[in-house]
Amino acid sequence: MKRRDFLKYIGVGGAGGVLGFIFGKVSKPPVGKLMPYLIPDPDIIPGVANWYASLCAHCGAGCGVLVKVMEGRVKKIEGNPEHPVNKGKLCALGQALPQTLYNPDRLKKPLKRTGERGRGQFAEISWEEAVSTVAKNLVDLNKSGNANKAYLLTHPLRGTFAKLAAAFMSSLGTSNIYEYELFQNRNLLYALETSMGLDCIPRYDIENTKYLLSFGADFTSTWVSPVLYSDAYGKMRQAAPGNRGKLVQVEPRMSLTGASADEWVAARPGAECVLALSIAYALVEKGYYRGGEVDAWRSALSKYKPSAAAHIADVPEKRIYEIARDFAKTRPSLAIGGETVSSYQDGVSGLTAVNILNHLAGNNGIKGGVIANAAGEKPDFKKGIAALIDDAAKGRVKTLIINNTNPVFTTPDGAKTVEALKAVGFIVSLASFKDETVALADIVLPLDACLEDWGDDEPNPSVGYPCRTLMQPAVSRAADTLGAGDVFLAVARAVGGKTAGRLKAASYADYLKDAWRDEYAKNKRMSAGTLTFDDFWNASLKKGGWWHPVGETKKAMRVSPSAARDAASKGPSMFEGDAKDFPFYFMLYPHHVHRDGRGANIPWMQELSDPMTSVVWGNWIEINPKTAERLGIREGALVTIESPFGKVSAPAYLYPGIRPDTAAMPIGQGHDAYGRYAQGKGQNPIRILPFKNDLRTGAFAVNSTRVKISPAAREGGIVKLEGTANEAGRDIAQTVSVSEYMKMKKEAV
Amino acid sequence: MPAVILQLRKVTVDKRTYSEVNKDILRLMTKTGPGYYAALGIVASLAGILFFLPWAYQIYRGQGVTGLNVPVLWGVYLVNFVFWVGIAHAGTLISAMLFITKTPWRRAIARGAETMTLFALILVALYIFIHMGRPWNAYWTMPYPNQRELWLNFMSPIMFDVFAIGTYTTSSAVFLYFGMIPDLASLQHQTTGWRKKLYSTLSLGWRGTDAQWTVHGRATMFFSSFIMPLVVSVHSIVSWDFALSLVPGYSQTVFAPYFVTGALLSGLAGVMLMFTIMRWAYPFLTKYVTDYHYDRVGALILALSLVWSYFTCMEVFTGLYANTSLELEHLKFKILTLPYFKLYFLMIFCNSILPLSLIFKKLRVSRPFMLFLCIFVLIGMWLERYLIVPNALSRKFLPFMWHDYTPSWVEVSITLGALMFFVSLFMVSIKLFPVISLFEVKEDIGIPMKHEHRKDGA
Amino acid sequence: MSGNPIKAIIERLKEFRRPGYYKNYDHKWTMVIDLDRCNGCEACVTACYAENNLPVVGKEDCGNSRVMNWIRVERYVAGEYPDVKVKFIPILCQQCSKAPCELGCPVYATYHNQDGLNVQVYNRCVGTFTCATYCPYDVRRFNWFTYKWDAPLEQQLNPDVTVREMGVMEKCTFCIQRIRAGKDKAKDEGRAVKDGDITPACAQSCPAGAFTFGDLNDPESRVSMLAKSRRRFRLFEELNTEPSVIYLKKVFADGGGNPPVGGHTLAGGHPPVKEGHGG
Repeated sequence: MKRRDFLKYIGVGGAGGVLGFIFGKVSKPPVGKLMPYLIPDPDIIPGVANWYASLCAHCGAGCGVLVKVMEGRVKKIEGNPEHPVNKGKLCALGQALPQTLYNPDRLKKPLKRTGERGRGQFAEISWEEAVSTVAKNLVDLNKSGNANKAYLLTHPLRGTFAKLAAAFMSSLGTSNIYEYELFQNRNLLYALETSMGLDCIPRYDIENTKYLLSFGADFTSTWVSPVLYSDAYGKMRQAAPGNRGKLVQVEPRMSLTGASADEWVAARPGAECVLALSIAYALVEKGYYRGGEVDAWRSALSKYKPSAAAHIADVPEKRIYEIARDFAKTRPSLAIGGETVSSYQDGVSGLTAVNILNHLAGNNGIKGGVIANAAGEKPDFKKGIAALIDDAAKGRVKTLIINNTNPVFTTPDGAKTVEALKAVGFIVSLASFKDETVALADIVLPLDACLEDWGDDEPNPSVGYPCRTLMQPAVSRAADTLGAGDVFLAVARAVGGKTAGRLKAASYADYLKDAWRDEYAKNKRMSAGTLTFDDFWNASLKKGGWWHPVGETKKAMRVSPSAARDAASKGPSMFEGDAKDFPFYFMLYPHHVHRDGRGANIPWMQELSDPMTSVVWGNWIEINPKTAERLGIREGALVTIESPFGKVSAPAYLYPGIRPDTAAMPIGQGHDAYGRYAQGKGQNPIRILPFKNDLRTGAFAVNSTRVKISPAAREGGIVKLEGTANEAGRDIAQTVSVSEYMKMKKEAV
Repeated sequence: MPAVILQLRKVTVDKRTYSEVNKDILRLMTKTGPGYYAALGIVASLAGILFFLPWAYQIYRGQGVTGLNVPVLWGVYLVNFVFWVGIAHAGTLISAMLFITKTPWRRAIARGAETMTLFALILVALYIFIHMGRPWNAYWTMPYPNQRELWLNFMSPIMFDVFAIGTYTTSSAVFLYFGMIPDLASLQHQTTGWRKKLYSTLSLGWRGTDAQWTVHGRATMFFSSFIMPLVVSVHSIVSWDFALSLVPGYSQTVFAPYFVTGALLSGLAGVMLMFTIMRWAYPFLTKYVTDYHYDRVGALILALSLVWSYFTCMEVFTGLYANTSLELEHLKFKILTLPYFKLYFLMIFCNSILPLSLIFKKLRVSRPFMLFLCIFVLIGMWLERYLIVPNALSRKFLPFMWHDYTPSWVEVSITLGALMFFVSLFMVSIKLFPVISLFEVKEDIGIPMKHEHRKDGA
Repeated sequence: MSGNPIKAIIERLKEFRRPGYYKNYDHKWTMVIDLDRCNGCEACVTACYAENNLPVVGKEDCGNSRVMNWIRVERYVAGEYPDVKVKFIPILCQQCSKAPCELGCPVYATYHNQDGLNVQVYNRCVGTFTCATYCPYDVRRFNWFTYKWDAPLEQQLNPDVTVREMGVMEKCTFCIQRIRAGKDKAKDEGRAVKDGDITPACAQSCPAGAFTFGDLNDPESRVSMLAKSRRRFRLFEELNTEPSVIYLKKVFADGGGNPPVGGHTLAGGHPPVKEGHGG
């Protein structure tokens, strides 16, 4: 090549480059993807991780997390070691936070409904348009004097955001805030309130107990605060040398926690309450109860003599007395009542019975028993999902704001939730994913993932001392989304008037920081701190919140015999359907990582095998192998479960840990929407339930119907990882008996 | 001595001359009818479609297109690998072992068997590549000097394999070629054109002098002695791939002789099958491969089958004596679980029961029966490997990971396609090289009468 | 120096006679898993997915037993209703001191390093499957395809761990990247690695605290203490693979018809347990 040619090419190339650069500038955003580090962010050192303390929002436990961020991307979530709830540990679902953040199916722009409602046809719009549409609707509603026809349906709220939402709604002139989630602990809180006078979930000191009597509480996997309790479980078993706590699990279907129990008591479904009360009677009868009002207790419990209860609960009388003896004699002991019990039609009774047991055995207020917590958030028991659906169906709801909850998926067909929501004038949905409920919205506002958002929390249950935790964004937003708090503030600004006056903060971050001045004052008072507010704020952000592990909450906790009388007036919980036509009890339970269905859109969670069945990417029906043999059902065959309210088909899994008169199915799969990973996987068993809600608490009962099982000839397409669960005599997971273990301990000392 | 002469008489049909032999073989090599082309075309295109295309697909997509899974990581490819190593054993057995024992009937079939050996070994090498996750890195299994000072693990049975197969292929090729030199020299005088050029180049100036014959004879003796241990060692080494692991069903001391016996059995069946088909295609070959051959090979098959049956029993007994859950579960799965139950007893029928019929000479010399028997023995031997290789892995140590294996269409197709590839290689080779050893057959005929001498050159 | 150089050379060669077997390990990384604490929640499995860039293979390949979990929680069930006994055991690469996989690999893609770890070199792997076939614990995983992450899920990938390509064997590394980081940090601070500096992702996450990780060469470390427990056992000890994962036996309730479980190893002549389910 000649030198002249070379220069020519260089010139042409250079001009092209410049032109390209100019046009590129015009047509593309100024920061391209190619070289994000041309001018590096001072915080970012490639290859070195930044860790941010924040909170996990995948369930209501309120675990603290440390977010590992490298090059501006979330890499991993770990438990925050300083956090009092989870102490550095984290469950599978919590660790999947990055896959929610980077989920390909996340909503990226505000959406406006274009097609018919329920068709799921939407068009992308700008935030300005979305917010002004919502605001206009609210203003119009107000002008027409229908302010009280604006409703907010939200997942249970805690902390500052609860206050913001309340302020927002009240400024609009309505108090219609409905909190809903399938597993919301409504019955638990109600039972604690009515029988023990507690306004929050106490600290169940599993860690230090020696005898844990669990009535259907799957506490190491899904119940209330799984990481807190798993940690405590591990310590109960092996932390103190020679002091190994015993776990007795009462439930008709062996849960993951039940699998680790020393004894499994397969009581008849619905009769746990009766069993608990008969244990209580045995405590009084055998003189283990040392408190007052013995006669009152005896008469209140007299209907539940073990001789009679044995038949109802299908547990031998001898065993009831043994449990009562061990429960009273082993000090300290603890009884807890979980989802299985609280999900019956009469869920409160069983939980009250558990409180009675703790009272009679003297477990309240002692180490290794029930320890009171300071106040926590509580739902309005009158405002259950049934009430809202009823209002909506009757046309009393003009505008409905739905914040990140999915009632369409978690209510049965019989509830007619879709029809009710279709009767609502205007639905705004705040969500991160296009789930079944979002599909009915008029305006969809995409929310931040919790790793992009601000927030705070007061864990409930707490840990026995004041604890308030902070959520902060670990990365900048991946899409055009906003936090729920910011959405409310933006709408408030657009609505104007009183609403804008009440909610003046420029952003939710400011609002939150402002709200934390209370915390600052509390801290100053409690620890005589000399920090300025900004220092306190920064320190709290760094730590992940503020907690003060001094001074346990002292609260009187006692249960009166009248509570027993209230609980005692009920027999075993009802199951819909005639026992002759529908011979099986139908038990539903939350899948250990999909929970109420929220985890189903996370690929890791879909591929994480269920620990009890090893099934992945789908769900199944659990049937006792003997029952299956009788009905001629092979493992993996498709079976149809029919309740009086509908039917559902899923592959059978022969599960030895279930009563022969019971069938069980996990909740969580069977989504029609909710992204590519969740859609079309398994079946949603909630559909075939009766819509039974506790009138006192507003809780929806999932263990409420009987079913019949009929095999289909086809294969069910079950995918499980296990070859076989039979150890084939190979002594793989070796064991040692308790007596041998005690001998070992002695010899070791 | 008279006995030997008597035997010699039986080996070949009498009243043949050197020139007749030459003409016969030349006819086979040069007179090619449309039937041959059609057959070759079909077989070669099947090889392309069933073998090379799926293999390319597998390389593109990954080993995931097979039916392999985590406990069962060795599947049909390894089965075929072992199977073809077995087939390759016949050549060495016939040409080396029987040479040393001076068994006269080997002469007519030795060349064919050796050719088979070489091509079977080519398939074996291919199966190693097919079976690899990253075949493009296959050369890493060779010891070559490199900058990063990477070396090989000579502890690994797989490494033994690489060297065993390498040695075997090399020596078989040399042995085959060496044995062919006098024939090539003789052929160069009877052909024209490219063939003449080819044969004269390859014959390396062979003139048939006494000195050359002496050296050739000595060298053949040497090669035979050299190659003979390979008959035992190669398949022993292949068996160590399995026997040196801990897997129940693999870890068996009986495997080395068991595999060798099985290899010889399948190899002989392969050779006889090939000659039966060739005799059908080229009837004049009946003159060379006679009933006598069928009789002798049949007897050998019978003997090997009996030894094989003994080892099969021993294999089961070894497991039963161990009496651990590991061995028992493996045996239960292999012998008593469907569909392996059926396969196992089909294998027993093919390899133990059916060959018993060879006690009767009538059946030994019946060509249709031998064709049928050889096919069944080959199926049986393939099943034996199938019942060892993937089957044992299905029931390894942790029952939670027990998983079955079913070959995918890719594996089935490659298996069939590779067979087609083998057949097409063989078909091409019989047109290029004498499939029957000319000089050895001539040895059978004996020293010709004066008037015939040197009529046909050399 | 001895007078005989040939003898010296032979001695030197003897040291390298067997692949990767060092006389003294710098460290002997060991994991102790207390089965009495494990409740089978599988938080460890997810932690491993996040830390080690494990791909999600989808429903079909899960059905083909090709799931890419480096750690799994195996569950064994014995007994019939109502006397059902369930046992969980997390199984990950046992980092055997005498590893069968190392014997099998023809190209040294898997070998023993000076920390007593059983290391897998992805770049060197040619995919003969031998290591996984020889592994008694079925912990090795193969990249059947080149796995894809649906955008933008790939943004989560850990830059400290490579993403493996098709045709390569992989397995648990005891989070070697964390071990490296821990050692580097200790070196930067001019001290020896101390107990608790290094925690693999599974051990870090375990809500029940069943995992303990540390250096068995350090007599003061927690694993050294726990390894002395009378509940200790190693998986298939009679195979003599010398695993670096030590399990502590689960304590089972007395009576209740449990099969008598002794401290002996793999049962010779035990009749297979009839109960159980699945198939």
